[in-house]
Amino acid sequence: MASVTESEGTGLGGATRRQIQRVRDFADDTEPAALVTVTVMAIALLAAFVGFLLVSSLTIVPFAVFLLAAGYGWLRHQGPTAQVLTLTMTVSTLLILGLIIVFIFIEAVPVIRYESATVFGVSVPGLRMFIETRWDAVSDPVRYSMVPMIHGTLLVTVIATAVAAPLGVAAALFLSEIAPATVRELVKPGVEILAGIPSIVYGFIGFTVLAPWASDQFDLTGQGTYLFVGVVVGLMALPTVVSVAEDALSSVPESMKSGSLAMGTTDWQTMTSITLPAAFSGVSAAVLLGVGRAIGETMAATVMLRGVPRLTDPLVNVFYGQETLTSLIARNYGEADGLQMDALFAAGVILFITVLVISIGSQYIEWRMRRTLGGEV
Amino acid sequence: MSDDSERVSDRVSRRKFLMTSGLVGAAGLAGCSGQSGGDGGSSGDGGDGGSDDTATPTEAEASGDGGSGNGGSSTSLLTAEGSSTVYPISNKGSSYWNSNAPPSDGEYWGSNSEGSVPGWSEIETDMLLADYFAQQFGFEPTEQRSSPPFPTTVGLSHSGTGCQAVVDGLVDIGNSSGPITAELDWSEEKANNTVVDHVVGRDGQPVVVSNDVIDAGIDQLTGEQVRAIFQGEVGNWSELDGIDYDQEIFVIGRAEGSGTDTAFRLNMLGDADAPMEVDTRQGQNQQVAQLVSQNEGAIAYMALAFTSESVIPIAIDFEGTVYEPSKDAENTIFDSAYPLNRDLHMYTLIEEGNPGGGGTGPREAAFLNMFLTTFGQVVFVEQNNYIPLPTKDIQAEKEKLSDLMA
Repeated sequence: MASVTESEGTGLGGATRRQIQRVRDFADDTEPAALVTVTVMAIALLAAFVGFLLVSSLTIVPFAVFLLAAGYGWLRHQGPTAQVLTLTMTVSTLLILGLIIVFIFIEAVPVIRYESATVFGVSVPGLRMFIETRWDAVSDPVRYSMVPMIHGTLLVTVIATAVAAPLGVAAALFLSEIAPATVRELVKPGVEILAGIPSIVYGFIGFTVLAPWASDQFDLTGQGTYLFVGVVVGLMALPTVVSVAEDALSSVPESMKSGSLAMGTTDWQTMTSITLPAAFSGVSAAVLLGVGRAIGETMAATVMLRGVPRLTDPLVNVFYGQETLTSLIARNYGEADGLQMDALFAAGVILFITVLVISIGSQYIEWRMRRTLGGEV
Repeated sequence: MSDDSERVSDRVSRRKFLMTSGLVGAAGLAGCSGQSGGDGGSSGDGGDGGSDDTATPTEAEASGDGGSGNGGSSTSLLTAEGSSTVYPISNKGSSYWNSNAPPSDGEYWGSNSEGSVPGWSEIETDMLLADYFAQQFGFEPTEQRSSPPFPTTVGLSHSGTGCQAVVDGLVDIGNSSGPITAELDWSEEKANNTVVDHVVGRDGQPVVVSNDVIDAGIDQLTGEQVRAIFQGEVGNWSELDGIDYDQEIFVIGRAEGSGTDTAFRLNMLGDADAPMEVDTRQGQNQQVAQLVSQNEGAIAYMALAFTSESVIPIAIDFEGTVYEPSKDAENTIFDSAYPLNRDLHMYTLIEEGNPGGGGTGPREAAFLNMFLTTFGQVVFVEQNNYIPLPTKDIQAEKEKLSDLMA
C-alpha cells in the first residue's frame, strides 16, 4: 500500500530513478570484497533459476555456489549478505507466484481452445465454457462448461456469508464491547481453536450426520445440498471473521468511546454510532476474509456434494448440491486425463481470478474506509 | 494502561491456544493421510491394457532363473509375472507362501486364542502354511517357518507380457486379466493345446441397492431396467414394470472417466462412451457403500467386499438368465458370464515333462491350489476387493489339478 502511494506521488520514472540511486548508494557504501560476494550470490542464484527452468541436471552446481557464497558472506560480511538474502526471499516469493500463474494458465489453454464459440462470425476461445451448461467428459458431445461449478461456488459462498457475517460480527461486538474480561479471555482462544479443526472433520460430520438428516427432512432424492455445505462452510469461516473483527473493534481508541459516552449516549449507541463505523474497514476485511475462505474451501464441499456438474432447477434451489470449482478439482484430479485435466486447470484459473478480485476488492474497501472514516486499524 | 497489560496476557494465552489447535490440526492431517486403502481392486483396468507381444530381454533375465525347470518335484523358485490386476492376488499369495506361517500364528495361518484365518474349519491341520499345501502334491514339509518347500516370486508387468513370458518359458505362471486368446491373438484351439487356464478369481462390480429397496420386495432387476436407471430414463422405482414402490431412485455412479466407470458403461450400457445420468458420483468404494447405507432408494455398483446388511447385491436378469447373489445358485453374480465380471487368469504352460499330460507341474499346482480353498478365496481374492469364485467353479478348477495330487 505504502509503495503504491509513494509511486503515485512521484510517478513511475521518479521511482525507477530512485531505485537506481539506492542500488548505487549500496554499491558505494559496501566494501569491494563484500560486493563481490553478494554479486557472486546473485549471479549464482540467477544461473540456478535458469537451470531450473531448463530442467538441467547441473542446476545443483550454481545453487551450491550460491549456498557457499551465502555461507561465506554470512561469516565475513553479515550486513550486506543479509540485505541481499532478504531481497532474494522476497523476489523468490513473487517469482513462485508468477510461475504458478503462468503454469495454470498454460495448462488451461487446450480446453480454452476446445471450448471456442463463434459470436458474430468471430471465434472466441473459451466462450462456450460460459454460455453452455453441459459438463460431460465422456459421452458425446464432450463439453466442459464451467457454469454449473460457478453457480455452485456462488450459492455456497452466498449462504456461507449469510451465516458467517452476522454471527461473526455480532460475536466480535459482544466479545470486544460487552463481555466481561474473564469471558473474553476464555472465549476468544476457544473461537480460535474452532479455526484449528481440520475441514475434513466438518465435512465428515456433514456427510454422515447433516446430509442424511436433510435428505430425510426435506424429502430429497439422496443427499448433498448447497444449503448445508454453505452452512458448514460458514461455520468454518466463523472463527476467522470473529477473530479479525474483534481485533478491529478493540483497536478503536478508548478516547473515542469515552468521548461519546461523556456526551450522554448509551453503550449501545456508542457501539452503533462510534465503534462499528470506526472499525468498519477492519470488520469488512474480516467478512471478506471469511468469504475468501468459503470460496476456497475444498474438503468439506467435496465430501458433501454430489459430484455431478449440472445446474439445479430452479437456479435458486439450494436443496440439491452438485459441484463447486474446488470440489471439481479435488474429486477428479486422480482420474482425469487429456482435455478433462486441462478443464480442471481452467477451473483453477477461474478460482484464481475470483480470489484475486476479492483480495484487491478488500484492499480497496479498506483503503476507502480508512480515508472516509479514519479509524485506526 | 491497565488495558494494555491485559492485551498482552491475552496474546500469551492466545498463542498457547493456537499451538494446541495446531497440534490438533496435525493430528487430523495424520488421520487423513491414512485413507486410500481398499480401492485397489475397483479400478480394474489399472495398467494391464497393453498387449505387448514380446517380453523384453531385461524381463527375461530378471525372471528367467528357475523358470520352466519343473521336471518332477523340483524345489526351485516358482516364478510368476503379468497383469497389475491379478498382481495383488498373486503377490499376497506368494507373500503368505514364503513366510510359511505356523498354525499357531492365528493371523496369517491357523488359529489361536485371538482368532483364526477364514475357512480354517475346512483345513484344521498342524502343518505350516506352505508345507500343508505343498505336501498335497508330494513335497517334503520343511517344518520351518520362513522356509517353504519351494520359494515363490511374482513380477509385475502387463497381461500380454505375462502371457508371452509363460509361453516362452521365462516364468512358471503368467498372470493375465484378459483371456490369452485376446492378449496374444490366438485361436481357442492353440490356447487349449499350449497353456492351461487357471481362473483364481474375478474382477467385477455387482449392482447393489439400499435395504429399503430390498424391503419393498425388489430383489431382482433386468439388465434393461438397470440400463434405464443409469441413463436417467426412469426416476422412480414405481416406474419400473412390476414394481410397486413409490420412492425416487438415488443413482450413484463412479468418478467420471475412471476405470470402473468406463467398464460399467462398456459392459452394462453397451459402449465406453455411452451417456449416463446419475445423481452423484463417488471416487471410492467406501463412499459408495456409505451413501447406499444412509439413503433411501439408492442403487450403485461397487466392489463386492463392501457389501453389508444395508448394502445388498441384487439378482440381475440378463436376457432370460437370472444371476443370483448367492454363491451356490446355478447362475450367480460371481459367474464369468455375468456381464460386469471378467476372469482373472493364471496361465501355466503345457510341457512334456509334466505328468499325466496335464499342463501344470506339481509346484504350480501346489501354489494354485492354495487359491482354490475358502481360505485362499477370502484372504487373497475377496480381501483385495475382487470377486471370489462360486462353488461350482472352484470344483472345476480343482479338477484340473487333481491328477497331480499325491
